[in-house]
Amino acid sequence: MSGTLFLIKYGEIALKKRNRGAFIRYLKDSIRARLPRVQLSVYEIFHRVFLRCAEADAAQVTSVLARTFGIVSFCEAVEAGLDIAAIEKIALALAARYLAAGMGTRFKAEVRRAEKAFPMTSYEIACRLGDALCGNFPELKVDVHTPDWVLSVEIRERAYLYGPSTGGPYGLPTGSSGRGLLLLSGGIDSPVAGWMMAKRGMAIHAVYFHSAPFTSEQAREKVETLTRRLAGWTPGIALHVVHFTPVLARIKERALAEEITLLLRACMMRFATLLAARLGSMCLVTGESLGQVASQTVESMHFTGSYTDLPVFRPLVGMNKEEIIAVAQRINTFETSNLPFADCCVLFAPEHPLIHPDKRKMDLSFRKLDVEPLLLQALETVEIVRS
Amino acid sequence: MNPNPDRTTYLDWAASAPPEPAALEEAREVSARYFANPSSPHRAGKSAEDRLAAARAQCAASLGVEPKEIVFTSGGTESNTGVLLSLLDRHRLGGVERQKTRIVTTAIEHASIYEQALGLQGHGIACSVVRPKPDGRVSPDAIGEALQDDTVMVSVMLVNNETGAIQDIAGIARIVREFSARKGRRILLHTDAVQALAKIPFSLRAMDVDAASFSGHKIGAPRGIGALYLKAGHAPSFLSIGGGQEAGHRPGTENLPGIAAFSTALAARLARLPEDTAAAQENVRRLLEGLRLIRGAWVLPLARQDGNDPHFSPWIVSVGFPPLPAEVVVRTADAAGFSISSGAACSTKKKDRTRVPESMGLPEETARCMVRISTGPSTRPEDIDAFVDMMQRDIPPLAAISRGGT
Repeated sequence: MSGTLFLIKYGEIALKKRNRGAFIRYLKDSIRARLPRVQLSVYEIFHRVFLRCAEADAAQVTSVLARTFGIVSFCEAVEAGLDIAAIEKIALALAARYLAAGMGTRFKAEVRRAEKAFPMTSYEIACRLGDALCGNFPELKVDVHTPDWVLSVEIRERAYLYGPSTGGPYGLPTGSSGRGLLLLSGGIDSPVAGWMMAKRGMAIHAVYFHSAPFTSEQAREKVETLTRRLAGWTPGIALHVVHFTPVLARIKERALAEEITLLLRACMMRFATLLAARLGSMCLVTGESLGQVASQTVESMHFTGSYTDLPVFRPLVGMNKEEIIAVAQRINTFETSNLPFADCCVLFAPEHPLIHPDKRKMDLSFRKLDVEPLLLQALETVEIVRS
Repeated sequence: MNPNPDRTTYLDWAASAPPEPAALEEAREVSARYFANPSSPHRAGKSAEDRLAAARAQCAASLGVEPKEIVFTSGGTESNTGVLLSLLDRHRLGGVERQKTRIVTTAIEHASIYEQALGLQGHGIACSVVRPKPDGRVSPDAIGEALQDDTVMVSVMLVNNETGAIQDIAGIARIVREFSARKGRRILLHTDAVQALAKIPFSLRAMDVDAASFSGHKIGAPRGIGALYLKAGHAPSFLSIGGGQEAGHRPGTENLPGIAAFSTALAARLARLPEDTAAAQENVRRLLEGLRLIRGAWVLPLARQDGNDPHFSPWIVSVGFPPLPAEVVVRTADAAGFSISSGAACSTKKKDRTRVPESMGLPEETARCMVRISTGPSTRPEDIDAFVDMMQRDIPPLAAISRGGT
């Protein structure tokens, strides 16, 4: 058969016995959604997912698979008929390729025989291939303990041969864990929070609070860029941009300076709850990390979290900044987050914000804002940016 | 929002001017016809050399100086830094040692003077920075007080790029010359005239400066061309060494299309300067009157008069609505179809953005609210009226938000 064949190993999906079919579907959809113009077939045979595509598309497919949640590892495989001579021929070709790529000279052959009708045992096949490789390439040496590379052979309905595999991101396939609404700012934390929930299979939508002219177009473009980065991991993500200036103005008008940040956060929670209802999202996701800033203390989160009846997931709550940055660098959002447009004006960032707010007092201040009509109006201004 | 997104009113001429049609045409024509290297010995090279000489003569005539006193550069920044960097060469000439070399300049200079002068401190060249008075003008006496035995150069800009304040260069020259005569030591007097060229009338001879910097794209020539006036017999020694072009001051194959466009733009602008100035004065009168009607408006400096204040360029106005940050005003204007800038457009460094207003005594919170509106010869009074209307309509609600209610 022509083209490139990928053999995909999945992890936790295998544990979900009864739901496995659905999980596999999510996995396939998640791969297909990011390769709309690529002809590919994805199918499953005996707990192995195979993906076949044209050779020209292989590089693009590789980059998507490396970012597909649910995948533990994947590799390019070559198939052969159930015939030892054919298997040997392909093993030699693969060995030549690995040698040319400078992958090393110590190897071992690992054989699994699921198709017991095959006339040789796994051990016999491994010995036969080991001899053939060493005979053809004098520089090769069998090393079963510390090989440079492993040639794997699976004997099933056909024979599949493959070398070292590429690691996937683990986790669960997109969509298998419901839908969440991510409060996305231009900062370092929120994209990471969204990614971490997506890793657990959550389909993510994002909401960005735009406050023109107090925040710049560049700040908004930056958030759009971050959404596109996330879309590489979690297909289907759409950015919902809400024009929040009237809410901001109301807060600035009626609130004490030190309460501004917290009241704004509470309004965002409340608004996100309204938007989530529209989108069918079952939870809110934020990038809060305990104690990082004034609005992220236990008291502050108690207050802001009380303005939504949805569960609020804060996957970074126990992480240090360094740990968060490490993830941001891995998922390629750090550089964008670090661009200097986060100008959510000094005007709305009090010099001495409340750190340990009194919830009852804050609730009174929130009520004084009489902000619900403004939030409902803001809901009508939402612009949807699809990645 | 901008009712007509295709039409924007450009009020950022001090950052860069729209091309002067004659200059654009000249650049195209010269690029096509005089492509040869002016240093080449063949006929094509010779004709390029002749075209270069003609442009230099035209430029010199416009400035009222000798052709040999004009060095073409890549722009204002290169003209400025070139003059300052020439000080690094002094030790080679057996002049004053570096340890005894001082530049006197001001806190309101363009970054290419201010930052470069501070940078030279790392090379053993001292620097005295004179602050302006609250009205944005540097007093000649303050320059006089800063002069010391080791002073070898004084650099003061002619028109400030953020406030439009016109500096008394002739007065400064008198004080510098007198000090110089008393000490029997030469002091090079340089002025950055980028925002003055073809904007206000001046005479290099009457101001008695030794060097002056000019930029092409501020007067409708393309980017990448500028000039440096170096008074005959007073030229400092430049650091770059190459093919000897521009009398060795600025080696590199001459940017002939740029040079021709520059001299053309300059001549065209100067020919129209009296009418253009009258129009600019009418524009600035409308602008200042209209903006001052907005609650909380703060014209920088407050001392600037509404009418034709002789101490300010009629092409530049600095105004703010504290505590509304400058970038919010700029975005609001932009959304309504007006291009203005926050402070100096060319300063990308954050800390440098508020240097000029802060040097005039403004607190940092107010300084970062200042925007610059700069006009040009094709700015019409109705453009100014439309801008003022927009500002009177859009700024008060934002300023109210920024002030808060509690």
